[in-house]
Amino acid sequence: MFVLPGEPLEPATLPSHSTIPLKLGPGLLHIPPNTITPTVAGLLRTDKRKNAVWVEFNGGRYVPTTGDLVIATIQRSSVDVFYASISDYTPNATLPQLSFEGATKKTRPQLAFGALVYSRVSLANKHMDPELECVSSSTGKSEGLGPLTGGLVFNISLGMSRRLMLAKPGEQGGLVILDELGEQGAAFEIAVGRNGRVWVDSKSLKGTLAIGKAIQDIDEKSLKVDEQKKLARKVAREI
Amino acid sequence: MSTTIAVPGQLLGATTDFLPGPGTHIHASSIHASILGPISRTVPPKPAGPSKRLTKITKATPEPLPTISIDRDISEGHGQGKREIIPEVSSVVLCKVTRITPRQANVNILVVGESVLDGDWQGLIRVQDVRATEKDKVKIFESFRPGDVVRAAVISLGDQSNYYLSTARNNLGVIMATSESGNAMYPVSWKEYRDPETGANEWRKVAKPF
Repeated sequence: MFVLPGEPLEPATLPSHSTIPLKLGPGLLHIPPNTITPTVAGLLRTDKRKNAVWVEFNGGRYVPTTGDLVIATIQRSSVDVFYASISDYTPNATLPQLSFEGATKKTRPQLAFGALVYSRVSLANKHMDPELECVSSSTGKSEGLGPLTGGLVFNISLGMSRRLMLAKPGEQGGLVILDELGEQGAAFEIAVGRNGRVWVDSKSLKGTLAIGKAIQDIDEKSLKVDEQKKLARKVAREI
Repeated sequence: MSTTIAVPGQLLGATTDFLPGPGTHIHASSIHASILGPISRTVPPKPAGPSKRLTKITKATPEPLPTISIDRDISEGHGQGKREIIPEVSSVVLCKVTRITPRQANVNILVVGESVLDGDWQGLIRVQDVRATEKDKVKIFESFRPGDVVRAAVISLGDQSNYYLSTARNNLGVIMATSESGNAMYPVSWKEYRDPETGANEWRKVAKPF
């Protein structure tokens, strides 16, 4: 169901559950006591099992939220903190030098300008600059986070990065490109940041460029499943 | 006594003739004015003359020097003889938070003691001065937000732009806070405020009300 900002929502459109309270996701605002209105234009989605409701929208501006995985670019380093850019239109986020796996005061990671880091947003609110971390604060292990060496980074829309990060991109987001490329035999590594960035690394530069361009094409031209399969075959031939 | 106005840096007298008072400083053994204002000289009481004894003549006590100072005189509308109040060390002030960063909170000092301030005084509360215990675990975002009214104590006159303040006592901290939804909140414990309309709790370093 397509909604516009400020539209009143009928209670019938919202899911109800006997035990779990209703959870509001992004794009919705609760005005006490009884009003729930969307704040963005998009498709209203519900999940009956988790009793959650949210709006799916393709915005242009990434707003950092705690817990998001992002690809950040190191701009400079200071005494005990790196300043990393997560989007062109926001101030730099801070990334403590000790929040990497196995980092101590004597052994800090050496990251130069332009280095890419796969990190999680640890603090984000409207009053302060965001903070990142490359290690899980509870376990102390990196769990896939940390510097990304080699490869290239490509810019994609926020909606595309969300589709790529779904648990089942084929079923839920209509994205089969990654599975198809794997089936065709292409070998590559990929990391997706919720801030609209995707990092690709392959054996050859040509392969990296082809895969990255393919993802950008699907994003810009909104290719359907069969068109994605055709594109995957073409890319796999080139590599 | 004539009240001439001195400008900052103006030579007032030699250190051999006067003692420096508030509003002045010594530079190369002469006293200069530090601020703009009228010069005032205090006439010290004349010491008692040397006591005369039949068998001994005692030396005269050296005459104390007059003190020269510049009055912090504000406009006539504030009444005669009223001095401008400025924050001093260990005075309790009320201030409003303007900006927070992970290491400090910047504030505008509004009230010193009982008097509302005239000028624009800035202060900052460093992260290690927010609480008395567990100073390294303090998070500014869970202690202050922009727009909060805070009672703090001045710990240092600081540098050119900021006083340094502290809220490390039970009766210091946030006294008025607004929630993210825009409603005034009431305190529920030493670290939480509650919004009566939405029921949401927000973290603050709360000042004990009594």
